[in-house]
Amino acid sequence: MTVKTLTTENLSHLAAALLADGTEVIAPVKDSSGKVDYRAVKQAAELALGEALPRKSLKEFFLPQTECLFYFKQVKNDVELTPVPTTFGPRIVLGAKPCDAAAVDILDRVFDWDYHDELWFGRRQATTIVTLACPMVDEFCFCTAVDIEPATRQGADMVIVPVAGGYHVETVTEKGEALVTKYAKYFSDGGKQAEADTFRAEAKAKVEKNLGINTKDVRAWLETHFEDGLWHELAWRCHGCGACAAVCPTCHCFDIVDESEGVNQGTRRRNWDTCQAGKFTLHASGHNPRGEQCNRCRQRVSHKFMIYPERFGVLLCTGCGRCVRACPGGMVLPEVLRRVNAAAQAAKTEPVTEGVGQ
Amino acid sequence: MSDNGNKQHDNSFEPRITAFVCTWCTYTGADLAGTSRLQMESNVRIIRLPCTGRIDPLFIIKAFERGADGVIVSGCHPADCHYTAGNYHARRRFTVFRELMDFIGIDARRLTFSWVSASEGTKWKEIVDETTDRVRALGPFTAYHNLAGGAEEAMAGGVQ
Amino acid sequence: MKELQELARKLLTDGTVGVVIGWEEGPRGIRPYFCTRPEDADKLVFTPRCVHNLATYLSPRRSNVRELGKVAVVVKGCDNKAVAGLVRETQLKREDVVVIGVRCGGVVLDPYGPAELTANTVADRCPGCDVREPHNTDHLVGELPPPPPGEQRTAKLMSELEKSSPDQRWDFWIEQLSKCVRCNACREVCPMCFCERCLADKTQPQWIDSSPHPRGNLAWHLTRAMHQAGRCAGCGECERACPMDIPLMLLNRKVAQVVADSWGYKSSEDPAVAAPIGTFNKDDPQEFIK
Repeated sequence: MTVKTLTTENLSHLAAALLADGTEVIAPVKDSSGKVDYRAVKQAAELALGEALPRKSLKEFFLPQTECLFYFKQVKNDVELTPVPTTFGPRIVLGAKPCDAAAVDILDRVFDWDYHDELWFGRRQATTIVTLACPMVDEFCFCTAVDIEPATRQGADMVIVPVAGGYHVETVTEKGEALVTKYAKYFSDGGKQAEADTFRAEAKAKVEKNLGINTKDVRAWLETHFEDGLWHELAWRCHGCGACAAVCPTCHCFDIVDESEGVNQGTRRRNWDTCQAGKFTLHASGHNPRGEQCNRCRQRVSHKFMIYPERFGVLLCTGCGRCVRACPGGMVLPEVLRRVNAAAQAAKTEPVTEGVGQ
Repeated sequence: MSDNGNKQHDNSFEPRITAFVCTWCTYTGADLAGTSRLQMESNVRIIRLPCTGRIDPLFIIKAFERGADGVIVSGCHPADCHYTAGNYHARRRFTVFRELMDFIGIDARRLTFSWVSASEGTKWKEIVDETTDRVRALGPFTAYHNLAGGAEEAMAGGVQ
Repeated sequence: MKELQELARKLLTDGTVGVVIGWEEGPRGIRPYFCTRPEDADKLVFTPRCVHNLATYLSPRRSNVRELGKVAVVVKGCDNKAVAGLVRETQLKREDVVVIGVRCGGVVLDPYGPAELTANTVADRCPGCDVREPHNTDHLVGELPPPPPGEQRTAKLMSELEKSSPDQRWDFWIEQLSKCVRCNACREVCPMCFCERCLADKTQPQWIDSSPHPRGNLAWHLTRAMHQAGRCAGCGECERACPMDIPLMLLNRKVAQVVADSWGYKSSEDPAVAAPIGTFNKDDPQEFIK
């Protein structure tokens, strides 16, 4: 790990240099209404680091909301298939939220599971992720409760931590090393370790106040409570609208469709989908195993806190809290987790070890 | 305005116009225009429905998606609908749809609505000629045709 | 508020209803609440943060709500228009629901945000409201507060758009609709989008591209606006639910304006008032038809 310092001004110069070298620079950007989103910038001046949580996660830069898989065309009695390119031009994410970077790393596992997804990994290979350590966004954050923290290195190639005058820099991977080497003139030697460590510790303490659970106990409870009144209760308020999945950094389900683009030609695409949609599990026979909202609510929580960990050893949640902010029906995932955790603890007949907080 | 059909222009843009017409009035009127040997522009492709009441605004949207530069919707005059009230429902529906299209920024001049009866062959010719001239002057509807989703952009590596 | 809580307690104790759907102070702010026990009636509140349209929970597709038995629902005047809409379109029998109207002086857009009702925080549908005291309800509770502050931002934006050129409008809409990821939150929260088989889900043939590219999104939103013509209650839940902040009410309000200008119809709390699409007058305006 290499430690450096980067002034605020030099971050801007670094961004400009990357752009000039033909690297796509993705960063949080403010739009005209003041909302922040990750976007490919055209100029360094657009960068809006360290402000609000970007509305959407980094997911769309690795799994676009709609993506062509191949193009087909009928030529006489044959069908010509033209695949899409799986190599991409160099990209860098400057100022990723740690929860969003960690999510990308978490998703690597499912995209390398039964099939090595060339499009996902093509984009991953082309991208360097520079994470900006987070001070905690608001009371909806709960990253510490799901095994990460506001300064996590997971998914990052390089981490920058806000300090006076700029950032304390730590490289994490070879890509991070390559970045500080190639653009060495913008970095100065020696970091600001103490200040950075203080920042990180304070942020962690703040987030810990929002939620404390034992994720292993939660998982055990989920394994044994497939039928539980909790799911019905959640289903009352849940609209099955999918807003949560749309903003979630780790939700990754997709639908594959063939679309006509004229006579005898078209594209096969994959599009974002959500298990919360009523027809998500509708079979061609007409049978729908998750036709009721209670089953869909159960599925979402179980996939994230039981099924994915069982399969891949990590939770499918980074505690970013977007689902809470986006939900129009008042679903609060930390509340659900707290209840499950409490039930799990009670089942162990030990004193309830609920985390500090509400 | 032209009295000859097959008028060619130097810029060689010939608009593609889709016409959704009802069987009992406009289709028959168009047929009459044909049997009367009326000369008219040949840019219109007719899609025949039983009644304008069957015409879903999605037909128009799909026509634009698939390359139409202009659309005509035509049926029986009020009180003459073969199914009694289909055209009244269509009238209401398209009152809204037309304004919605305009609000979205789709030039209202690309859409033509008309009542053409079975005996109005000449009126059909006039609608066809006038619409074709109007849409030709507007040019191809590239804004709609080039909406992301096309193959070229797909080959460039997906939407972003 | 006491009046509402006592009413709810009585309805539940009597067994008149199996659930009273209202609002509660949840862990993060105001949210819908499903009160199934008389002893929980104290949790029911009505504050300026009660923005949610609870009529959407009356939709027949909500099997888990129907399990609870007969429903009493707390509605503001705007929400009540959706109840009327469901009754009008035979999704609900009026006698199968107990409608508790609540007198309202406006609500804030963000139920998790500041509770103070100002011109900046007020939900867009509130300024100029004409149904602050709901009609056709089984009960009516609360004191009538003063009218909501501010003016409708949507109305202002709509008239700005109308003054701009078609090209400018097109650019505006394509930019907005490109944000859509087709999560369908707008559809799922809407009380009037109750179709078991939405046209957008139809694949044989695929009328509306399901892909979230501008072409598919334009077809979807144009179709939804058309299908809401004369039916939309104007509650604004679609816009509030949209995770991408697309100004959906601009479309719905424009359509509502055309409907009002053409046939004098405004969204009504009375199910007996016929919807404008599906009915007609022999002398409806038709200047646009050659």
